[in-house]
Amino acid sequence: MTEPTSAEARRLAEVARDRVRFEEEALELSDQVYRVARRLVGSREEAEDLMQDAYARAFRSWQQYQPGTNLRAWLLRILTNLNIDRGRRVQRSPDLQPLEEGDYYLYNRLESTIGDENPDEERVLDRLSQNSIVEALAEVPHDFRDVVVLVDIGEFSYAEAAQILDIPVGTVMSRLHRGRRILKQILADKAVA
Amino acid sequence: MMGCGCNDCEEMMQPYLDGVLTDEQVREAKGHLERCPPCDKRFRFELHLRHFVRVAVDEDMPPGLRQKLSSLRST
Repeated sequence: MTEPTSAEARRLAEVARDRVRFEEEALELSDQVYRVARRLVGSREEAEDLMQDAYARAFRSWQQYQPGTNLRAWLLRILTNLNIDRGRRVQRSPDLQPLEEGDYYLYNRLESTIGDENPDEERVLDRLSQNSIVEALAEVPHDFRDVVVLVDIGEFSYAEAAQILDIPVGTVMSRLHRGRRILKQILADKAVA
Repeated sequence: MMGCGCNDCEEMMQPYLDGVLTDEQVREAKGHLERCPPCDKRFRFELHLRHFVRVAVDEDMPPGLRQKLSSLRST
């Protein structure tokens, strides 16, 4: 057995260094990843669980990450895959096809609850509580919610959301469009109930 | 509704706010919003709503989770 050459030793040291850097960067992003993860699942406990599974897998397969690409998106891709693997699709939300209203629906419904003829949009927005928004988002069916959460909460582009969920960009756009409308419809029902 | 009855405008709202319209379409949309206060108000409401949703659902990572994640490190 020959001693490892100094070139080989240098290479191994470099890999070890890259690995440490990867792990540090991934941990740095954990707050931001959690914010998205929390809204992809129903409870804090589930989100914590999912985060740990995702980070364990990310740390194992760190060499598949291409440096210079979006690490937050890469982590969320692992996380959403795990979430889907967990059999979430089995307990698919019932095939409710909510009656779909247009994009002005929420505004119109809220405005009609204010006595004023022509209220400011801030006053209209005041009709919504923080709680009602959290609840309404949780009620949006999974497929639509994933996209709304990634784009509107995680602030990913259509293309990034498509990569994370492994679906075509066109599908991201149509789900986003419908998902936002469904969210607004649920919000309107809660606020005007 | 009491707006302009302009369905195109309502359909344009999401792509407009997402910044994915062509320059030509943006010009058209802006021109319409200047002439149509009801639509303009609904666009501004939507913008505020998006921000409000983002803030409303924001939840910090539970204390201790960061430590748990860190313990999964190999290094």
